[in-house]
This record gives sequence, C-alpha cells and structure tokens, in this order.
Amino acid sequence: MLNYVWISLLLIGIFTAIGRDIHDVVTDPYRNGQPVPARFEQTRQRTSAHPVFEGTIVIPAASFDQFYGITSAAGEIRQPAVLTTLASGRQKLEITVSDATPAHWKRMAEVAGKGTMEASVDSYDAASGTLSFTMERIAFVKIKAVTKAAIEFADTAVTISLGLIGVMALWLGIMKVGEAAGLLEALTKVMTPVTRRLFPDVPSNHPAVAAMIMNIAANMFGLNNAATPMGLKAMEELNKLNPKAGTATNAMCTFLVVNTSGLTLIPATAIAIRAGLGSADPGIIIGTSIFGAACATIAGLTAVKLLQRLPRYKKELEIDGEEAARG
Amino acid sequence: MAETFKSIVNIISAFAIPMFIVVFLGWGLIKKVKVYEVFVEGAKDGFNTAVKIIPFLVAMLFAIGIFRASGAMDVVVSLLSPLTNLIGMPADVLPLALLRPLSGSGSMGLMTELMKTNGPDSFIGVLASTMFGSTETTFYILAVYFGSVGIKNTRHALPAGLVADFFGMLGAVFIVRVLFSL
Repeated sequence: MLNYVWISLLLIGIFTAIGRDIHDVVTDPYRNGQPVPARFEQTRQRTSAHPVFEGTIVIPAASFDQFYGITSAAGEIRQPAVLTTLASGRQKLEITVSDATPAHWKRMAEVAGKGTMEASVDSYDAASGTLSFTMERIAFVKIKAVTKAAIEFADTAVTISLGLIGVMALWLGIMKVGEAAGLLEALTKVMTPVTRRLFPDVPSNHPAVAAMIMNIAANMFGLNNAATPMGLKAMEELNKLNPKAGTATNAMCTFLVVNTSGLTLIPATAIAIRAGLGSADPGIIIGTSIFGAACATIAGLTAVKLLQRLPRYKKELEIDGEEAARG
Repeated sequence: MAETFKSIVNIISAFAIPMFIVVFLGWGLIKKVKVYEVFVEGAKDGFNTAVKIIPFLVAMLFAIGIFRASGAMDVVVSLLSPLTNLIGMPADVLPLALLRPLSGSGSMGLMTELMKTNGPDSFIGVLASTMFGSTETTFYILAVYFGSVGIKNTRHALPAGLVADFFGMLGAVFIVRVLFSL
C-alpha cells in the first residue's frame, strides 16, 4: 500500500501544480506585462546626494480591483515606494511590502520570494504625479514551488536524520549498559501479561519487549528525545526475530501502530502553543486529547490485528521456496 | 483534578530521564558491568542507525513536500468537505486532519494559525489542539522506524496507522462536540 500512497502523493502533487499553472496562464491573475496606472506622491525631494524619488504610490480601490479583476474590501491603496533611475536611463520602482499591502500584491511578492516588489516604470511625470509601471513577470508559480520543495525536503530529511545521531548514541549507550546488567530482562517480566497479548510472536523475555515498554512509557510522558531511540532499539531487536529481512513482521506493524497513534498523557506541544496564544486554560485539552489518542490506539490495534490475517499480508511474510533453498 | 493530574505527570516527566540514567548505570555498576566501556560500545550504533534512516526519510519527505507545495491539499479539502460536514467537523479543521499524519511541523503551523484566527479557547481552537494531540505523524514514524532496520515492505502497517489516525480525528471531533459545543 505504501507504494501506491507514495506515488500518488508525487503524481497528484506534480499534476495539480501543472494544472494550476496552466490555469494561471489562461486567466493571467497577475496581469503580466500590463502597465498599472497609479499616482506617485513624493515625500522626499530628489537631490544629487540622494538621487532617488521616495514617495507613496496611490491607487483608488476601484481601479485596483478592476485592473486585477478581483473584489478586495480594501480602501485606497497607499504603498511606500522608491523610484530609481538606472544607469541605462530606465526607471525602476521598488515597492515595500508591509501589513497594509493589498492581499493580492502580498501573494505576488510571496511567489516572487522577496520582501519587496520590483517593477519597471513605463512613464512618470513628476509634475502631475502620473505614474504607470509594469510589475515583474510572474509565471509557473506552482511548478517552481514543487521543484523547490522537492530539493528542500530532501535536505530536511538528511538534517533530521543526522540530528538524531547524538540522542541515539546517548540512549543506545545507556540501554546497552542496562542490557549487560540484565535490567532489560527484569523489566520484561513485570509487563509480560500485556505484551504477550499484543506481541504473541515475541518471546516474553526477549530484550525487544523491554525496549518497547520503555518506548511506550517515554511516549506517555512526552519524552520524545528518549522515545525515538528506544523505539529504534526495539525495532532492531524485533528485526532479530524477523525471518525475512526487509519485510515487516506482525510484531513490527503492531509496535509501529502503537507509536503512530501517539498516546500521551500530556500533549505538551499543543499546550505550549495554546499558552503562548493567551489561552485562559491551556491544559483543557489534556482530557480530550487522551480520549482522541485512545480512540486512535484502539482502532489502530484492532485494524492491525485484523489486517494481519488477510491472505495477501500473510503471504508477504512467507519465505519463498526458492529464497529459502538459497539461503 | 485535572490540575493534580497535570502536575503529577509534569513531575514524573521532569525526573524521568535523570532517574533513568541513575537506575540503568547504577544497576550496571552493582552488577559489575564495565559501564563506561559498554556505554561507548552501545553508543557507536547511534551513527549507523541515523545514517540508515536517511534514504527512507528522503523518499517520504520529498513526496510529502511536493504534495504540499502543489496546493493539492485545497483540492482534496474541497472534495471531502461535504462528507465531513455531515459528521459535524467544521470545514476549517479539515486541512489539519489531513495534514496531521503527513507532516508534524506543517500541522503544527496549521493548528497555530487556526487558534490565532479563532482564539485558543474557541470551539475550533480547542478542537484543533485536541486533534493535534490525538495522533502522531504516521508517515514520518513509519519512515524512521522501519528505515532504521531496512524494512522496505511495510505490509499492513500503513493502512492500520491510517485507520488509527482516522479514528483519532473522529474521537477528537466527538469529544470536543460533546464537552465544548455551545
């Protein structure tokens, strides 16, 4: 199933991006190449020491809406800008983007990926203040965003993985000491009644059981830094019981679902954000989150136990005759 | 009641890791384990495990990145919103429900945005933060956990994980409607 989900994410993403860009080409929402009519009110005199016009662009709301073919509730548009004469004699307009910028322009600045919007000036009459300028061309926004995301996220994946090295080393070291001291085995004995039911294929005194218990406990108490290394340790131990390398066993799938359901006693991240936004009672979601995560866990465990009986999933775990003979 | 529970859990969380270190290494000392040597021996695997995850996480995250950047989410939301309206899930939180299994940081951003716009104590604010706390980033955990031991055929783990996410979201909508609906 992962194969199909993965390729769907990719193809749906890329084709949606292409579709949206074609739609943009047809409807031209950014009015590429068309001069915007405006007025320019100078706020600072041009001098030889300061050879630019500083001022405000003024466009009445109605003509802005008409130009872009949209309906914005905004009033008259007043936007600080700087008009520079380039060495070539052409004039360039730089519009500063702020909170007061109309949403449509903000979006345009965002897709251009800059804090300012640049335009070339078609005509400017300093005496009357009449200004006409053409914005930088914006095209193929989504497909460019998709390309950028693909590269950025590949990078993020490596950053995340490498970022795990330190905590992984720390916890694997501590766990190794516990293993050598026989502490892991002692821990498994206490929890046997629960784990035997959840993971019938795993011998109840196996180190995997201890690692899984510690992972689940760390998750409960929101110790994310400890939970992941312990979970990975558990996976490593479970993999020692795996008859077919590269294929997940029933125990692995069950353990994974326990983790993806995310049962935790205190949803710390959500509470911290609520507190940061000035909630009167940030902790009010503790009970509701436990309820939600409990629903997820029960449904997930039921699903995993039912699905593992399906012939198609059973078959995948069997070692093919040929493979077994080889090795 | 809720306050006591919260402070007990907070105390346990604060002390858990130091206590854990003391118990594990102390027990090792009693059992005459060469603690330093064994620790270093175990820690050596940290690097290998992290490096093994890289190809799996790259595959997962770049696909999710492309999906999110394309704006395909808006299309999916508009297709699904008539269905979710039926069960009383506000259209505002649907993108959060869909993004939660895909991206941890993305769904955190959405939750924050929803609470900023609607207020953290509004119905949508409480629902959004409950939904965020009701499940985990399934795709990320799948890539990291299975990647660390080189599992390529994930069998029924993903469908079961998505069933868990689905019921987590339903559970969140149900309980918040019951307790906070005006």
